[in-house]
Amino acid sequence: MPITTTRRRLLAGSAAALALPAFARAQGAVKPRLTAISQWSAGSDGAAITALGRKFEEKGGTWQHSPVPGFTTEMMNKLRAQIIAGDPPACSQLKGPEIAAWSKIAPTVDLDAVVAAAGYEKVVAPDLAKLHKPGGKWIALPLQIYSTNMLFLSKRAMDKAKADKVPVTWADFNDLAEKMKAGGITYPIANGGTRPDDGQKFEASLAGISPAAYRAAIMNLDKKALEGPEIKAAFAQTRKISNWMDPNVGAQPYATNLKRFVDGDMGMMIMGGWAQGVLRNAGFKFDDYMIAPGPSDNGKPVFLLNADAFIFWQRKEADLQAGQALMAQLVMDPAIQTMYSQITGSIPVRTDVDLSGEGWSDGQRRTAAALKDAIASNQAVLSLAHNMAQENGLTAAMIDVITEYVKNKTIKPEEAVTRLAEAVEGSR
Amino acid sequence: MTDAVSTATRPAASDMVRRLPEYLMIWVPLLLSAAHLISFSIWTIWISFTPSTLVPVTGWVGLRNYTSVLASRNWQIAFDNLLLFGSAFVLLSLITGLLLAILLDQRIRGENVLRSIFLYPLAVSFVVTGTVWSWLLNPGIGIEKLAHDLGWASFHFDWLVNRDMAIWTIVIAAIWQSSGFAMALFLAGLRSVDADIIKAAQIDGAGPIRTYWRVILPTLWPITITVVVIQLQFAISAFDLVRALTNGGPGIATQLPALVVYDLMFQRSQLGRGAAAAVLMLLILLAVLLPYAAWRYVQRRQATHA
Repeated sequence: MPITTTRRRLLAGSAAALALPAFARAQGAVKPRLTAISQWSAGSDGAAITALGRKFEEKGGTWQHSPVPGFTTEMMNKLRAQIIAGDPPACSQLKGPEIAAWSKIAPTVDLDAVVAAAGYEKVVAPDLAKLHKPGGKWIALPLQIYSTNMLFLSKRAMDKAKADKVPVTWADFNDLAEKMKAGGITYPIANGGTRPDDGQKFEASLAGISPAAYRAAIMNLDKKALEGPEIKAAFAQTRKISNWMDPNVGAQPYATNLKRFVDGDMGMMIMGGWAQGVLRNAGFKFDDYMIAPGPSDNGKPVFLLNADAFIFWQRKEADLQAGQALMAQLVMDPAIQTMYSQITGSIPVRTDVDLSGEGWSDGQRRTAAALKDAIASNQAVLSLAHNMAQENGLTAAMIDVITEYVKNKTIKPEEAVTRLAEAVEGSR
Repeated sequence: MTDAVSTATRPAASDMVRRLPEYLMIWVPLLLSAAHLISFSIWTIWISFTPSTLVPVTGWVGLRNYTSVLASRNWQIAFDNLLLFGSAFVLLSLITGLLLAILLDQRIRGENVLRSIFLYPLAVSFVVTGTVWSWLLNPGIGIEKLAHDLGWASFHFDWLVNRDMAIWTIVIAAIWQSSGFAMALFLAGLRSVDADIIKAAQIDGAGPIRTYWRVILPTLWPITITVVVIQLQFAISAFDLVRALTNGGPGIATQLPALVVYDLMFQRSQLGRGAAAAVLMLLILLAVLLPYAAWRYVQRRQATHA
C-alpha cells in the first residue's frame, strides 16, 4: 500500500512538473508574489485572510492583498475593471457558478496538476468540486464551507416553551414554534428582512422536505420538478415560518435580532454557520444557544453548501506564477484550512480534517458531521440564496419571487410555484 | 481704410484676451461634461442592443433586452412606483414648499434661522436621510414604538413594512429632504413681486388670501415649472434614498427604475438588459425635459418678439 501511494504521488508530482514547467521553474528562481482581491477587510473575515497572508509570507512570499470592502458586487466591479484593463489579480475571491461564468471572460490557471499532487479531489464534496472545475479542469479552489440551513435554538426560549428536544423534521420544528408561541414568545423565529434571509427560509424548507426535488428544481432547473408538489409544500412551510417572524424588521440584517434571540424573546433562527462567529463577536456565550442541522423530513441531515473560493487568473510574470502555486498549496493544506475556519467559524473544505481537538466549537463539529452524513446520503446540495446553485441573474430572479412571497401574505403557495417557474423561464 | 480695420479689430482682440479666462472657465468644463455625457449615453445605447452580460461584448440582439426588461415584474413594479412616487412627491413638495414660503414671507422674526432650518435637509446626503428615516419609520424602534412607550397603545404606523404603503415612506422622506429647496425658489419669487401691485390690490380691498390667490401666485408659475422639472428629474433618477430607506422592499414593492438598472448591471451581471433599462429611464427623462425645453424656447421667442 505505502508503495502504491508513493508511486501515485510521484506520478502526480512529475505530472505537475510536466504540466507546469513555468511553476516549477519560477518557484526555484524567484520570490513568489501574489496579488489578490477579496471583500474580506474587517471582522473575522479580515482577520482570517490576514492570517493566511502571514503564512504566505512565512513561506517566503510577498503578499499583496487589496480588500474591496462592502458588498460582493463591489469586489466584482473591481475585478471586472481589472480584467477589462488586461491586468487581473493573480487570484481573487469568487464563488459558485460565477466561477464558470467569469472564466469565460479571461484565461485562468489550470490547477489540475497541483490538485492531483495534493490528492485534494477525493476529500472535497463532489458537487462542490464540480463548481471549481468548469470544463473539467480545476481553475479555482474552495477555501471554507458554511451550511446556510443551520438551526439555532435559544436556550432561554426553549426553557419558556418547556422543550428540550432538538427538532429533526419540519413537523417537529412547527410543533416547537407553536409551543414557544404558547409559552409567550411572540416571534418564535428570529429573522432579518434581507433578500438572502428570505431566500434561506425557502431553500431550507425545500431541501428539508426533499433534497432530491431541490437538486432537480433549483440546481438543475428541471421544469417538471419546478412545478412539482414539493415546491408548493416548501412555499407553504416558508409561509408558516414567515408568520412566526417579526414583520417589523424591514430591510435590516438578521444580526439586529441576535440579542432578542439570546434573551429568549425569539426562539429559533435558520441561518448560516457564520452566525456563530457573529454571536461570539457580540459577546454571547456558546451555552446561550444550541446549533443543529436544519430540519429534514427524512431524518438524515441536509446540508445547503455555501463555500468561499479563490479563482486563479493567468499571469505571465514568473513571480506571480510562483505565488499562485504557493497559494494553491496553502489553500489546500489542512493546517491552513483549520486556522482559517477557526477564525471565521466555518468548517474546512477537506472532509478529512479532525475537528475533535481544541479550537473547534460544538457547532462546527456538528456542522462538519452533518456535511459528512449529507454527502454519504447524497443530501449535500448547493445554496440558492448564497449564489451557489445558479448564476447571479437567475438567482436574483428566483429570490425576487421568494422575497415577495415572504413579504406578501396574499400570494398563495400555488401562485408562488407558477411565478417561480416563470421567473426561471424568463431569465434563461 | 487700413486704419479703420485695425481700430475695429484691436479692441475686439484685446477684449477676447481679457475674457479668455471666462471662456475657458465656461467652455472647457461644458465641453468636457457634454462629451462625457453624450459619449457614455451613446455607448449605453449601443450596449443595450448587444448580448453583453458580465462584460461588454459586440453583437446584435435587436430589441430583445428591451422586451425582456419591459416584461419583467421588477420593471413593471418600478414603473408604476415611479408614476405614483413622481406625481405624489412633486405635487406634495410643491405644496409644502409654497406653504412654507408664504408663511416665511410674512416678515416674521427669525426668518433667517427658520429658512436655514428648512433648507438644511438639502445639505444632507440622501443616504443619510434614507437611513435616519428607516429608523424613524421602523415600527419596532421608531415613531410607533415611541407612541406605544408614551402610552398610546393603539397607535399604528407601519408603512415602512407594509407593502402597499411603503412607497409613501419614500415620498415622506423625499419631501422632507427637498421641500426646502422649493421653498427657497418660491420665496425668491414672492419677494420679487412688485410691491406696488400688492398695494394696489390692498387698496382695491382684497384680503390677504385673495391677494395671494389672485395677484401674487399667478406671477409664480414660471418658478413653479422650474421646480416641477427639477423635482421630476430627481424623482426619475432617485436611487440612494430608496436604497437606504427600503432597498426596494418589502419584497420588491418599492422598486424604482434606477434600482432596477443597478440590480441588472451589477448584481445580476446582465449589462445588456441593464443598459436597456437605463435607456428606458433616459426616455422617461426626455419625456419630461423636451416639453420643458420647447416651452422655454417658445417663451424666449415671445419675449424677443415683444
